[in-house]
Amino acid sequence: MKGEGKTVYRHSVATRVTHWAFFIAFMALISSGLQIFNAAPYLDASDKSAPAKRVLSFDSPQDGVGTTTIFGRTFKTTGVFGWADDGMGGQGARAFPGWLTIPAYQSLADGRRWHFFFAWVMVICGVVYVVWGIGRPNISQLILRPSDVPKILPMQLYYLRLRKHPPEHGTYNPLQKLAYTLVIFVFAPLIVLSGLALSPGFDASLHPLTAAFGGRQFARLWHFVLMLALIGFFVTHIALVATQGVFNQVRSMLTGRYRLRSDDGTGV
Amino acid sequence: MKRQLFIATSIAAALAGCAPIGTKLNENTGFHKVLDSAEGLDKRIIGTHGLAKEYRPQDISADFPLDSLPTPTSAYYTAIRKDGFHSYSLIVNGAVDRSHAFALAQLEKMATARDITRHDCVEGWSAIAQWDGVKLADVLAVVRPRADARYVVFHCMDSDQQGSLYYESLSLEQAMHPQALLALRMNGKPITPDHGAPVRLRVPTQLGYKSAKWVHRIEVVASMHALYSGNGGYWEDQGYEWYAGI
Repeated sequence: MKGEGKTVYRHSVATRVTHWAFFIAFMALISSGLQIFNAAPYLDASDKSAPAKRVLSFDSPQDGVGTTTIFGRTFKTTGVFGWADDGMGGQGARAFPGWLTIPAYQSLADGRRWHFFFAWVMVICGVVYVVWGIGRPNISQLILRPSDVPKILPMQLYYLRLRKHPPEHGTYNPLQKLAYTLVIFVFAPLIVLSGLALSPGFDASLHPLTAAFGGRQFARLWHFVLMLALIGFFVTHIALVATQGVFNQVRSMLTGRYRLRSDDGTGV
Repeated sequence: MKRQLFIATSIAAALAGCAPIGTKLNENTGFHKVLDSAEGLDKRIIGTHGLAKEYRPQDISADFPLDSLPTPTSAYYTAIRKDGFHSYSLIVNGAVDRSHAFALAQLEKMATARDITRHDCVEGWSAIAQWDGVKLADVLAVVRPRADARYVVFHCMDSDQQGSLYYESLSLEQAMHPQALLALRMNGKPITPDHGAPVRLRVPTQLGYKSAKWVHRIEVVASMHALYSGNGGYWEDQGYEWYAGI
């Protein structure tokens, strides 16, 4: 590729600041969210709670035993889910273990405080990033366009080493565009909306929102599934950063400067 | 490759450190104050002014959880329970023009409101029931809150193992909400002792801990600072938000 080895200014200050603030908020939201989940460790596909429509539940049928039930099938998950680290040096009946929650010990009140504070951090980061980026190359070059769709499969084949060269692309390749477009414009807004749908005060002001998710308990299920989707993105993101020149990648998100690689595109 | 391994290990260590760091920060009073600041924003932006969704009779939950402090066993409660709550009266006093004790029969005469609404517990579950009762606004109209009145406090008959009594509070504005009820009947029958007999509060636009069971006295106040730990409720005194709309 022409320009290989050249250092370019890739990430604006707004992108870098919101990226790291979002990262902190994301970690805090997941661990405090799991803390909140632990207070009622089950998910129902209905408006009101309904054991007949239970999709997922964590239980401890007896001391020292933890189980996970998904779509009616029960698995023994002692030590990880259902009966796990109680955050106080011992083990107890807990859906998600203490080493995954904030705070580590059981505290719904504290989990809620963390969650509702960092929810604002996340929303503010998202709004600043998108509003600042409108019309600037930062965002426009990572939005998936119809012309990118046919290039998705060839790009995947390239990643799987079944193709020698990536399809021609801009700063971001079609798979990156797909992932970022989904996360920024679909998953992130939906996880905020499904969270708001759980609020009785918000539901009272806007019934259609909670109804759109299938009711309050169903919104809780959506909120959880969207969290899994975002974790899936996060794990992929970390894996790619770690394998595609980790120093260059991390530096570009700290200083903005990125050194072009042989398979990087140059267009938009 | 060595450098990559180092960075990957650092990232993994950072992730594993999340819960312990969070736990440490959680115990820092200053940091906790920062976290708590979100409550004011939520209260202002989400509020509690809307009308909770009303349901059809077929939506009523077969099983309504009893997720509260235990049913009272005090001498007073045992006595009023024995005589079918005939000797119960609801005292309404404080910053009002005319304090009043409402006998159950008087409340029954005033009970014109009925709705089928969803009860959303702070723990996460939801249950639907039909409630008949007196609009809180109608009770307040009898006693007439004074100009300095700002909050309505509900003193209850249930207590925890340490003997702390349950209480809750609403702003005067929240108490005037058309769906804020003093419920006397649940699903067409008098409320059972386990569900808060003879009178429980229903505030469907907020989380379940606002809907206090076993209400004994309603006190209208200018400030909540002098009451218990001063945060406006039993759970609020243990760190939960006074604004329970989220």
